[in-house]
Amino acid sequence: MTPPQITTIEQLHEYLYHAMQLEHGTIPVYLTTLYSLHPGSNSDARHIIRTVAVEEMLHLSLAANVLNAVGGTPDLTKPDFVPPFPAYLPDGETDFQVDLQPFSRDAVTMFLNIERPDQPADEESRLRPRNRPQRQLRADGPEEFMMQFYSIGDFYAEIARGVRYLHQQYEEGGRQLFTGDPSRQVTQEYFYSGGGELTAVTDLDSAMAAFRLISEQGEGYGGGIYDNEKELSHYYRFQQLQLGRYYQKGDQVGQPTGPPLDIDWGAVYPVMRNARLADYPQGSELYAAARKFNESYADFLGFLTQAYNGHPELLIEAVWRMFEIREDISRLMHNPVPQRHGVYGAPTFEVGNLAKGAGS
Amino acid sequence: MIFPRGATTRTNPEAAAGVLYDAVIVGSGISGSIIAYQLSRAGHRVLILEAGPAEDRTIPGYEDYLSRFYASVAKDNQAPYPQNADAPMPRSTDAMRVRPGHPETSGYLVQTGPYYTDTTYTRVVSGTTMHWEAKTLRMLPEDFAMASRYGQGLDWPVSYEELEPYYREAEREIGVSADVEDQAYLGITFPPGYEFPMRKMPLSYLDQMVGRGIDGMEVAAGGESHVLKVRSFPQGRNGIPNPGYDGGKGFEPVGAVSTYQTEDGGRCQGNNNCVPICPVQAKYNAGKTLAKALESGRVDLLAQAVASKVQIDNESGRVSQIEYKVYRDPSSAEYTTATVRGRIFVLCANAIENPRLMLASGLKSTSGLMGRNLMDHAYLLSWGLLPEVAGTMRGTVCTGGIVDLRGGSFRRRHAGFAIDIHNDGWGWATGAPFTDLQNLVDAQNKFGPDLRRALVSQISRQLQLAFMVEVPPNPSNRVSVDPSYKDQLGNMRPVLSYNIPDYSMRGAIFGRRLARRIFQRLGAEDYTVYDPADYGYLTYEGEGCIVRGGNHLAGTHIMGTSPGNSVVDSTLRSWDHENLYLAGGGAMPTIGTSNITLTIAALCFKSATHIIDQLRKESAPPAVSAH
Repeated sequence: MTPPQITTIEQLHEYLYHAMQLEHGTIPVYLTTLYSLHPGSNSDARHIIRTVAVEEMLHLSLAANVLNAVGGTPDLTKPDFVPPFPAYLPDGETDFQVDLQPFSRDAVTMFLNIERPDQPADEESRLRPRNRPQRQLRADGPEEFMMQFYSIGDFYAEIARGVRYLHQQYEEGGRQLFTGDPSRQVTQEYFYSGGGELTAVTDLDSAMAAFRLISEQGEGYGGGIYDNEKELSHYYRFQQLQLGRYYQKGDQVGQPTGPPLDIDWGAVYPVMRNARLADYPQGSELYAAARKFNESYADFLGFLTQAYNGHPELLIEAVWRMFEIREDISRLMHNPVPQRHGVYGAPTFEVGNLAKGAGS
Repeated sequence: MIFPRGATTRTNPEAAAGVLYDAVIVGSGISGSIIAYQLSRAGHRVLILEAGPAEDRTIPGYEDYLSRFYASVAKDNQAPYPQNADAPMPRSTDAMRVRPGHPETSGYLVQTGPYYTDTTYTRVVSGTTMHWEAKTLRMLPEDFAMASRYGQGLDWPVSYEELEPYYREAEREIGVSADVEDQAYLGITFPPGYEFPMRKMPLSYLDQMVGRGIDGMEVAAGGESHVLKVRSFPQGRNGIPNPGYDGGKGFEPVGAVSTYQTEDGGRCQGNNNCVPICPVQAKYNAGKTLAKALESGRVDLLAQAVASKVQIDNESGRVSQIEYKVYRDPSSAEYTTATVRGRIFVLCANAIENPRLMLASGLKSTSGLMGRNLMDHAYLLSWGLLPEVAGTMRGTVCTGGIVDLRGGSFRRRHAGFAIDIHNDGWGWATGAPFTDLQNLVDAQNKFGPDLRRALVSQISRQLQLAFMVEVPPNPSNRVSVDPSYKDQLGNMRPVLSYNIPDYSMRGAIFGRRLARRIFQRLGAEDYTVYDPADYGYLTYEGEGCIVRGGNHLAGTHIMGTSPGNSVVDSTLRSWDHENLYLAGGGAMPTIGTSNITLTIAALCFKSATHIIDQLRKESAPPAVSAH
């Protein structure tokens, strides 16, 4: 067995920052695909993608809770927080990239990669020395990631191992690992809807419960279709889009027997894949709208940072801000790009240095 | 919450005919759903007959409602729900003035007047809770004793204290967002330590602005001084779950009812079209309760099944079966007739359809009160423009209002009322904001930035106060039937004879004067105009106003203390037919000044315990006497 990768509190903070980055990183991807659906069409696909996106927000909040519980400071405003797309996932999965793209069979395949449940056969292939690809997210902390993980579940398993390790080290040294201010915890009353419970993290047990929920809800870590909350995990939710049929209780993997899904692969705006500001003609309305979106999104990340830094009640206000995000994205997607026949606008999520920290 | 797949096709008329159900329920609205759910929990087998189609309760079905609403020009209460000639429903857009001696028959309700009510109810699965606003006020203790306290109306055979535990059950089932401190007024009490399932909905900016202007204002009425205060209304829509609910167990909001894997409606988003449909189902609808009932496996639902006759066994007076008509699809007049048997029958149609069915079956009740004492809140609207932008059109339809004149000794002389502050501005009175846009563009030639500025100035300053005035029971306000008026299936249509009693008119006029004072205090310009040509225009002692229907239908099979003074007893059981219950607003002897659904739900929880009791007693083996 390889030794734990996390042996210091700084490393743990670093890993948890990447966990938040990872949970957030899927949101631009899912939102781009979700809002590319024609209004009034594709009800089944819309609900499936939306549910997963909302649960990613839950996971983001849970990761923030753990980071707060161990005395860290969530910061969604660092210049590297949102990767340029296409991007690799920040847990070091290097065999596929994630793209901002419209709804399609390819997009669903990519979703399945993101949420893949499979554990490789042995420890060696689960944890491999990192061979950093070119556009990999840069970790700007003192400790560089040395490993890459096969799946998100594996990544969290490693963090959980580190938390247990540190907890034991601290206890032996007569110190506390969980020193965070409990008022910084985001609890269910501040979280709009979503599957699973958003619980406060104050000790080892609640931290482990948070990791378990994230892993099971997402990828079905441990191989089940349904998680402990009797919810279908994300991987299998998305697989239904491929298979054209819903799972129901008692189904075998790959053989759903629920009602059929009604999917219209054509009722989609052909929005630009991995759009960049530079793709829009300077001075065009689309350029201005895409720029404005990036600014608002950066503001939103600053706002979330405040919420995760002692103001959980701000998440109530986040509701109408998220409606604005939807409206801003729809405005881009419902318009063709000048001089590019048949290609529609899309948000670029080039946030970079636009986001302002909690203190400013 | 999952609406079980195939739940609506589990049975069919042929199969149902072969079953002796423990209970047959007519209607899948809040009454039918609660009673079905409670009976199923006690292990009983239930059949629900529903007049509307059932496929609407899938998520795509719900989304069809939404699309129909979005695309509809008239955004009335029925806009999302398809017209169905086999189970027709009243629509406010059908409202016409009644000419004396000429019954108005163009809408579903035949109205003989003198007042034409634009009141509505929705005949779909989940009933009128699909379009309701979800205000969940409790009745005041004095509302249960109007005759003995104020010499007006009737006393209930049930007191507030007796109903209180059932109010709590109803608040759990509906999922009420409210704070106890706000709701403990005019004698309303809660057990020590009680908390609502969810925290109160915050007051809108508009509410707060009105509150700043009028909190502390004194109003003299009936020799007493009433101090006004803007408070939040209790609401049947999901808010922030209260961790202190149920002795610290907390509360988990119930989101959208669906067929599959959606997570919507866990919390209100402030879409501001709660009426006629909540886009995300954060607002309670009876489907949330019905889904649980169907999930038990002991409840069957037969949709497109319109109850047409309650058949009585002449010897015992018991209901032997209910005859119903099943139509093939809403566009066709084709139907087949079937019957279903049960040990107990529960009519949960509503305060118009329940007596309609009974009267169409020739069952007028011993007291002769079947269909009589029809009540509905009388709404008086006043609208004005505030001096500054107040954020009108944000939030849910209504978050706050004034309830200090719901009770008091003035009720000897005139009706009490609750006042709603409408976050949707003048929508109800004038059709805002759509009419404002039309006017600015067509009549004032505004466009571009000018138009945008004018819209903000015109709409965001709107204040509409809706006075919900109590209407006392009056036997001549009634529902009857007449064989000359039938619907497409040949069922007799309801015939309404209705007028607003002077008692209520005095309350309305008092309210109108109060509205003027409130506007003065707020510096608001009063834009209220009542057009004498309007179908709802009424005059009282020289003063005219428009009264609108409240969709709070009640009183047509009132409960009482004897077969001579009422139709049902305090358990909602018919005095004449021992295995028949009539649930819903019709059982209420007075409606007070609270929206009726919470009280209906509480009465259903109470009634369900008696139905379960009766089923147990009637199925107990006959006692064998010892020799």
